Formats: sequence, structure tokens, C-alpha cells
Amino acid sequence: MLVYILKRLGLAAVITVLAVSLLFVIIHLIPGDPVSTMLGPKASPELRAALEARMGLDKPLPVQIGLFFLNMLKGDLGIDVFSNRAVTDIVLGQVPYTLTLILFSIFWSASLGIILGCYSAVNRNSIGDRLTGILSVSVIAMPAFVVALYSLLIFAVWLKWFPAIGAGEPGDWGDQFWHLILPSLAIGLSWVGYIARLVRASMLEILGEGHIRTARAFGLPERWVTYRYALRLAILPTVTVIGVGMGFLLSAAVFTEIVFSRPGLGKLVIDSITTRNYPVVMGSVLFSTLIFVASTTLADIINAVLDPRARAGK
Amino acid sequence: MSTDIKTRSEIGEILYHLTRDRLGLAGLIIVSLIVFSAILAPWIVPYDPIAMNIPDRLQGPSLSHLLGTDQLGRDTFSRVIMGGRVALQVAIPTIAGAISIGLFLGMIAGYGPKWLDTLIVLLFDTLRSFPTVMFALAVVALVGPSLNTVILVIMITSIPTYGRVVRTLTQSLRSSEFITAEKSLGASTTRILGVHILPNVLGPLAVLAAMDIPTVVGLEAGLSFLGMGVKPPTPSWGSLLNDGYSLIRNTPWLIISGGIPLILTTLGFTFLGEALRDVVDPKLRGRGGVK
Repeated sequence: MLVYILKRLGLAAVITVLAVSLLFVIIHLIPGDPVSTMLGPKASPELRAALEARMGLDKPLPVQIGLFFLNMLKGDLGIDVFSNRAVTDIVLGQVPYTLTLILFSIFWSASLGIILGCYSAVNRNSIGDRLTGILSVSVIAMPAFVVALYSLLIFAVWLKWFPAIGAGEPGDWGDQFWHLILPSLAIGLSWVGYIARLVRASMLEILGEGHIRTARAFGLPERWVTYRYALRLAILPTVTVIGVGMGFLLSAAVFTEIVFSRPGLGKLVIDSITTRNYPVVMGSVLFSTLIFVASTTLADIINAVLDPRARAGK
Repeated sequence: MSTDIKTRSEIGEILYHLTRDRLGLAGLIIVSLIVFSAILAPWIVPYDPIAMNIPDRLQGPSLSHLLGTDQLGRDTFSRVIMGGRVALQVAIPTIAGAISIGLFLGMIAGYGPKWLDTLIVLLFDTLRSFPTVMFALAVVALVGPSLNTVILVIMITSIPTYGRVVRTLTQSLRSSEFITAEKSLGASTTRILGVHILPNVLGPLAVLAAMDIPTVVGLEAGLSFLGMGVKPPTPSWGSLLNDGYSLIRNTPWLIISGGIPLILTTLGFTFLGEALRDVVDPKLRGRGGVK
């Protein structure tokens, strides 16, 4: 077990290093450079050289990447050239907003998805199962920002049930929760369908397996068999899928933050692009890559703890 | 048993099964509508989609403007139809590119030596760990908004989706009996990969591609919505939604007409992909979609 966890963490570290290096190489290859992005085309050569030296861009690429990792380990992602604040502080200030939004979205959609999937599997081919099936397929690929815009139009602008902008008054939990409902609806909707299908499929598979038959043969109550034995295994794929889906959740969060004018990583990136604040853009992208790698790793480890078969399979 | 099934071509066979499935038929109809309206767009649109007409701005739907007009008096219906063209112009090269590269790398990983496999899988895992939208935004921050950037970024981050499937399929085919037989008859690696493995991989890839189109179209629209995709005045469903978003308290029609084609595309391709999957591989029935 410990060996598996260590191996998985090692792989995560390798992937992070590769991803960051690749990001550097790609950024380096494409036309356009950070300095002219930030200073505009009319900047004097002296000014350009000064900024390049300050950002470490005058050094060869491998040195830049090496220095970057060295600084990253120290928690230093550079200085925002406009406000002179550390990029790490700026980005870290926005991460909690995005994480709250993502976690709340995945919490409600996974709960509903598991309930629907479980119901569908137990009452196979009932009207409820068919309805869930059609509903799942219909919402599964719905772009989050379209759902966000429509719910903004219907529930905030027309019906005025929910607030349209912001994340609520700081310190006022009720108000913050109120502001969370529409954005998390937008992010979570497609996941309800996805998770419901996943749970249904794995539940049906598990209900047909030998150990469930044995449990039934022992005369255990059907409810007990379904919810204590089958469901426990049937929600495993959900854990993996949520971990791997973190990239999609982050993308959805970017759009939703913009639509509802919520603070967060997405809003930070867009604002930074508009003001050509390149170090902050890079910092946010790196942070989201880190969150993504961390969540896939965590999902794999949780899976290994819950299901011994996954450990052997890797 | 009947001869007419035997003489039917493979594509005919697939179409036959698709039209038997109610959702599949619905998907096929929606997708054909979108594709044909995109191809025939210049002949369908009643107005020039970028021609301004300020006196007629922000109108609701009427007989002369089916979906109303935007803040510059441009006909929304014409912009929606032309927007479909942009959506497919992004989706098709993106997916074609990702499939080609994923196919190439996936077959090498699945058939080649172990060290190469490890290396390619590591590359897939790395590419997969870029959150697509964030990555796209970082590139756009440097080179400015353009459709080519959008295509390139989505293509790069989609390669692992296809590559991993091809790799798994190649691995399982590699040890199958007919490949062993081919090998013992002296077939070259290129022949085995190109003639025997490739055709067996294409079916599942087509299903994956059909299910991936809505994701790509959604990403393009999303980036254009953020002002990081198409440049104005080019019509895109995303830029329509962007206009609608800033005018949400003046008129709902821009958001409604920008969102509906996106929802239809999503539904159409998902239904089609689901039905196609059941036809191509009944074993996969009931599994989740692409995420």
C-alpha cells in the first residue's frame, strides 16, 4: 500500500515537472513574447532589456526552467510587475473561491447522481430509470457556460430569485451560500447525468457478481445487500472520474466565474490578460495544473485504499 | 439469413441500425441539419451577418428578423447560421489533428517496445494535466485572440483522449490470434499496423470523435464568449452569447439564440455518438460518455 502511494506520488512529481517544462517550451516556441505583451510595441530597447532581466528572460531556456523550479520550491512565482505584490499571494488569494465553487458543485451533483444511478439500477427498466437515462444523456455534454447564462437570465434577471453577481458579503455565510447556488448549478448539471450513468452501470455489474449472490443466499435483507455491499463498490468509479474530471471542472469554473462576476482563478486570469499582466496569467495556469495533478493523484490513491484490485492493476 | 443484409455495405449497415434507434435517428437529423446549414450558410442567410443597420438595432423576433437584431442592428438569425460554420471550422481540424497524432502515438505505444510505451504514456499524462481553458488563455495572453490558437490548444490537449484508447485497443489486438498468425506468415510491422490493426481501431475512434465534437464546439464558443476566440465582427455562437451577456437586461434574444444552437449541437452529437457506439460495439453499452 505504502509502496503504491509513494510510486503514485513520484509519478505525480514527474508529471508536474514535465508539464511545467512543456508549458515553458510551448510558450517559448510560439510567436510573441511576454515583454512585448506587457510593454506594448513602442517600448524602448533599454526598458525591454531591463524588464527581461528582471523576469529572467535574458537567460537561455533550460536555465529559465531550472530557476523557475528552484523558485517554485521556495513558493516564489515571481513578482507582479504592476502592483509589486508576489504572484503566489495574488493567486493564493483567489484559489479558495474557485475551490469552494468546484467542491460545492461536485458535492451536490455527485450526491444527486449517485441517488439517481442507484435508483435506476435497482428499478431497472422502470419509467423512472428510462427518464433518468434520457435526462442523463441530454445534460451530459451541456456546456457549463451556456447553463450559466441561461440560469442567470431565468433565475436572476427574470425571476430575481437569486443574486446575479459576486460571491456574497465576506463573513456572511448565508449570503455566500445564496450566491453559490446558480454558479454551482451551472457547473454541476452535466455531472449529475454523467455520475448517474456511471453508478447505474457499475451497480448493475456488481449486483450480478458472486459475493452479492452469496450475501443474498445468507438471507441478508435486500436493502442491506444493495446499500452496504453493492453501493460501496459502485461509487468507486465516481471517485476516479471526479479526480480525472478536475480539468473540466476548472474550465467550467473559469466560465462560470466570468458569467456571475465571481472572484476566483478564472476571473483573475481574464482580468490579467486584459491588463497584459503576464506573470499573473502564468502563475494561475501553473496553479490550476498543480490542482489538477494533485486531484488525479488523490483520486488514484483513494481508489487504491478502497479497492485492493486497483493497486494490483497498476 | 436474408441476402439483402449480406449485400448491404458496411456504412449502409451502420445507417440502418442508427435509424432503428429513436435517439440515434434524432441525433442523425439534428447533426445533418447543423452540417448542411453550415455548408449552405451563404445561401441560407437572409442578411449579411456583419452588415450593421443601427436604426433597426435590438429588435425582438419578427418576420423580417426571425431572431431579432443585436446592438449594431445585425440580423441574429444570419449570425447564428454563419456561427455554425465557424464552429465546424474549428471542430473538424481540431479533432482530425488530434485523431491523427493520437492514432500514430497510440499505435506505437501499444505495439512498440515497453520503454517507448512508458515514455508515450507519460507524455499523454503530461498533456492531459493541462487544464484546457487555462492553457488556452495563457497562449492567448501572448499571441492575442485567434481561431488558430484555439484549434492548436484544444488539439494538443485532446491528443491523450484518442491516444490512450488506440493504445489499449492495439495492446489487446496485438496478442490476438489473427495477428499472431499474420506474424508467423512473415507480415511486416507496417502491414500489421496499417492493414490489420488500424481498421479495428477506427470504429471506437469514430464514436469518441462524435462525442468529442460538442466538447470542442463548446470550448470554441466558450473562448469566443470570453473574447479570446474569433475576432469581431466574425459571427460565432460564443460571441453572440458575449453580446447577449452584456445586454442581458435589454434583450434576452441574443442569449437565447446563441445558446440554442450550442445545446442542439451537444444533444445531436451525443445522441448520435451513443447510438453509434451501440452499433459499433454493443459491449460498451451503458458506459459513461467522454469526460
